[in-house]
Amino acid sequence: MKSLVLKDLYNIGHNVKSMVFILLVFACIFIPSLGAEAYIIMSGVLCSMMVSTTFGFDSNSKWTKYAMVTPITKKELVGSKFAVLLIFSAGGAVSGLVIGSIGGILTHKVIVGNIRDVLTLLLTGLLSLVIAEIIGGTSIPLLFQFVAEKARMSTFVSFAIPFAVFFGIYAILTLLGVSFSDNLIFMLICLSPLTALVWNLVMYRISYAVFEKKELLY
Amino acid sequence: MEPIMQVENLTKQYPGFKLDHVSFSIPQGTIMGLIGENGAGKSTVINAALDLIHKDEGTVKFLGRELSSDPKRIKENIGVVFDEINFYGTLTPAKIGNISAAAYRQWDESVYKNHLKKLQLPPHKEIKTFSKGMKMKLSLAVALSHKPKLLILDEATSGLDPVMRDDFLDLFLDFVQDESHSILMSSHISTDLEKVADYITFIHKGKILFCKPKDELLYHYGIIRCGTAQFGAISKPEILAYRKRDYQWDVLVADKEKARRKYKASVVDNASIDDILLLYVKGDQVK
Repeated sequence: MKSLVLKDLYNIGHNVKSMVFILLVFACIFIPSLGAEAYIIMSGVLCSMMVSTTFGFDSNSKWTKYAMVTPITKKELVGSKFAVLLIFSAGGAVSGLVIGSIGGILTHKVIVGNIRDVLTLLLTGLLSLVIAEIIGGTSIPLLFQFVAEKARMSTFVSFAIPFAVFFGIYAILTLLGVSFSDNLIFMLICLSPLTALVWNLVMYRISYAVFEKKELLY
Repeated sequence: MEPIMQVENLTKQYPGFKLDHVSFSIPQGTIMGLIGENGAGKSTVINAALDLIHKDEGTVKFLGRELSSDPKRIKENIGVVFDEINFYGTLTPAKIGNISAAAYRQWDESVYKNHLKKLQLPPHKEIKTFSKGMKMKLSLAVALSHKPKLLILDEATSGLDPVMRDDFLDLFLDFVQDESHSILMSSHISTDLEKVADYITFIHKGKILFCKPKDELLYHYGIIRCGTAQFGAISKPEILAYRKRDYQWDVLVADKEKARRKYKASVVDNASIDDILLLYVKGDQVK
């Protein structure tokens, strides 16, 4: 597993500069208009999508076929993509939190020392990580199935599936008369990492089932 | 001694192609050449043997054990080189060393560094700047640095110039000097196999036509060049394959000395691996 994560980090290393540049440009555009919170979420999601770039590198070099002749199991290979996703998502959430906070202070949208603002930013950082994990995690089985040639479609579907599922749950609960108070929303945000964990466990199982059936001709 | 690799009844069906009950074994300390025309099934054999594709039937054992019984340990002892490097172009040999060191328990960094030095590969240069030959040298250096017992080469020398191929062949011969090391070398460049292989397995349309010691093929097989009347006089059981050209028949036989004694009116030439391959593929067999 370590070798797989190391390989992805080395490969993506070349894209870090351009990703930092994009994050800074987005900060200049979106913090003044949409606020620091929206930017933090955007940063996490953007970084999590780098996992699809790693599939592109693998496909380009026919890595997956080679990896399977080394002492690496199919489970490890699938698991490594989720480990890499966690690294990218956490990196995106943290950098979003840092850049977003600085941007928020500079644009006077965040007040230094205001506990409520600080808490909001920290909770947004956590939510950013959770959303990034869920969207990125959804893209992984799709990328195993369709590999890099349908990456754009995978990206779209990986946004659409979680949105449909969570919006559906929200709609059902609303129909059942559940009202979403501030306390309930706070509790749901605190529980959201658990949701992401369960979601990605399901995505891992689906990814493994897809990959297990694959014939590695290339 | 137990064969290092034993393939028994390996079968895999695709639409329009069937790898049909392929069996052969590689004794320890030898080089087995797997030869056949493009699309004959050489890569399918290797892919199925390494569990990269699902087998329909048959078993492949490495030192008596199937890969699925203990894949991690067995794969430590198998080095594989495909027809191109499988690392992304922005990586350097040094980074590839780090990745491979994390993958293999048996990885020996000093062996790897020695190979890089011997093969004149700059450790900190991105591999996208390397020539095809340098990339293949690097693949081979990686494959040799975890001290495998078996090296599997799938068209690893194709696309290389003759000088580079010769360097590779020297490395292969060095590798099998230790009597416990073996190589399975798939190639359609028969001259390479003539230089280094101990055994030749010839695969055609998914079936094994023969698996024989190379010396037996080169020293005993021959081609009778004759006219129609002389062709009619050749004992049919002696004919392995034949081909009619404009005014001449080329007839492959397993015992050229016997043929020289028996058919004095005909010319009996030595047969190269290429000649044998061509006669089997493009010629006919006596029904």
